[in-house]
Amino acid sequence: MFLLPSALAVRPEAKPARASRGRVEIRNLTKLYPGSDMHALKDITITTEPGEFVVVVGPSGCGKSTLLHLVAGLLAPTSGEIYLDGHRVDGPGPERAMVFQEHGLFPWLNASQNIEFGLKMTGVPKAARREAVARALEMVHLSHAADMYIHQLSGGMKQRIAIARALVMDPAVLLMDEPFAALDAQTRTLLHEQMQELAVQTHKSVLFVTHSVGEAVRLADRIIVLHSHPGRIRREIRVSLPQPRHVDSHEVNAVVGIVRKEIEDEVNRVHSQMARVA
Amino acid sequence: MSIRRWHASRSQLQVSIGWLAVLLLWEAAYRVIGWQPWIFPAPSHVIDATLNLLGITTYLGEPLHAAWPWRSATAPSPSAWTSLGAIAHSQLVIAILTSGYRLLIGFVLSMLLGLLLGVLMWRYTLVNSMLGPVFLGMQTLPSVCWVPLAILTLGISELGILFVLIMGSFFAMSISLRDGLSTTPTIYRAAGLVFGARGLNFYWYVMLPAGLPALASSLRSGFSFAWRSLMGGELIFVLSRHGLGQLLSTGREFGDIAQVVATMGIMVVFGMVVDRLVFATIEKRVRARFGLA
Repeated sequence: MFLLPSALAVRPEAKPARASRGRVEIRNLTKLYPGSDMHALKDITITTEPGEFVVVVGPSGCGKSTLLHLVAGLLAPTSGEIYLDGHRVDGPGPERAMVFQEHGLFPWLNASQNIEFGLKMTGVPKAARREAVARALEMVHLSHAADMYIHQLSGGMKQRIAIARALVMDPAVLLMDEPFAALDAQTRTLLHEQMQELAVQTHKSVLFVTHSVGEAVRLADRIIVLHSHPGRIRREIRVSLPQPRHVDSHEVNAVVGIVRKEIEDEVNRVHSQMARVA
Repeated sequence: MSIRRWHASRSQLQVSIGWLAVLLLWEAAYRVIGWQPWIFPAPSHVIDATLNLLGITTYLGEPLHAAWPWRSATAPSPSAWTSLGAIAHSQLVIAILTSGYRLLIGFVLSMLLGLLLGVLMWRYTLVNSMLGPVFLGMQTLPSVCWVPLAILTLGISELGILFVLIMGSFFAMSISLRDGLSTTPTIYRAAGLVFGARGLNFYWYVMLPAGLPALASSLRSGFSFAWRSLMGGELIFVLSRHGLGQLLSTGREFGDIAQVVATMGIMVVFGMVVDRLVFATIEKRVRARFGLA
């Protein structure tokens, strides 16, 4: 069911040729852990282009998830600003729809009601909602699961419903917080393929956080490697390999090697630092 | 019939036979050894007493003789059984309705108060630090301990009974709701905010359903507290309208031990039926929906 005839043929009229919105500007962003002077993130500056797929990678504890929650407006920065298409972010909103690591779907609603939720909250009329939900279900190939409740869905299905729930809001930027981390390898590979197709199909800007280098190289137009303690930008790597990328190809492996080296150096740096302290 | 079901029904049968044997031994102790029924009633006396409370006169507890289960002299006649209308007006039906009515009113009031304070304690730290420890303490106070205060301030009245019921149950409901709500996953909150739920919508479409498992279990525990408090209150408050608790205390006053045991049995059945039929059902449905069952 993942093998689309052509993802682009589903709804050609609804796709703009190129994304005109979704520029995220993160300026000198700093976040302290609540009630302490420890930096979770220090002086982060990132600008993403409309339609760009940006993946933030780093070892656990580097603050990459915090960064995404700041962009989502679920956390407030200690200092610095975040702008989306020139508007300052000061709270959560559906134009920055998020796919959570643990899906965050509502168990009291079925799959289609979950997708419909944001539309309902933002006052979209019922007929339009129904149509949009049907389209979103089709996009993630889960039309048959419309009436299923969340606990009846597999892990991969849950994440696809969570992606549909976010896409249906037509967000300027799609935020994804390690969305595939809890899935088995096979499902993850299939979802990578689908996610990449969706990104092409919808021309969405995506800000994606992961600790998996392979995942980053598979999906990203640009990879940002974060330092930890405090979380700072270590390096940016533009990935210009054509899509769809195959995880086993030489080109992909070469980039994976570069990124992995950065992260290993980073982990070693932290370890030796800790050893010095000890 | 599958093997598993056959095993299940077989073990049920064994349990039934086991209990039947206990009851028969108990009855035999009265019939053969000669245990005095006014000290400890036989099952047949308890059945008689239950039917009596329903306005049906039977003599199952009589020694065995030719006319059993009727009284030796009287032949079985239609007058031995009363009509359905008389059953409807019997002591037991009136007592169940009276207690049920008090329970309904009291529980609804207690629920409103308990849930409101529970939500406030969960939402506001100050309210929680003020009321939390007090409520935890009050929760340990047995509900009958509210009776003297109720009598002195409200008199021996329906209001007094309601007071005991409410005080005996709402603290527990508040605490249980607060604890349930504070263990509700925060991701629902985050997802609700990200997808545009604001103000009343946020509470109605996100926080309320997210708190349903907590709500269901706090209602269930609240009911069991309310029910016990009511029975305790009714035992002590003697009012013109007799509830089940008062039936128990009349049984004691008349030295009718069979009625006492019968009433206790009815209380157990009443409490269990409401718990199973209403509260366990709600809880089970909510948990199934959340994939917790």
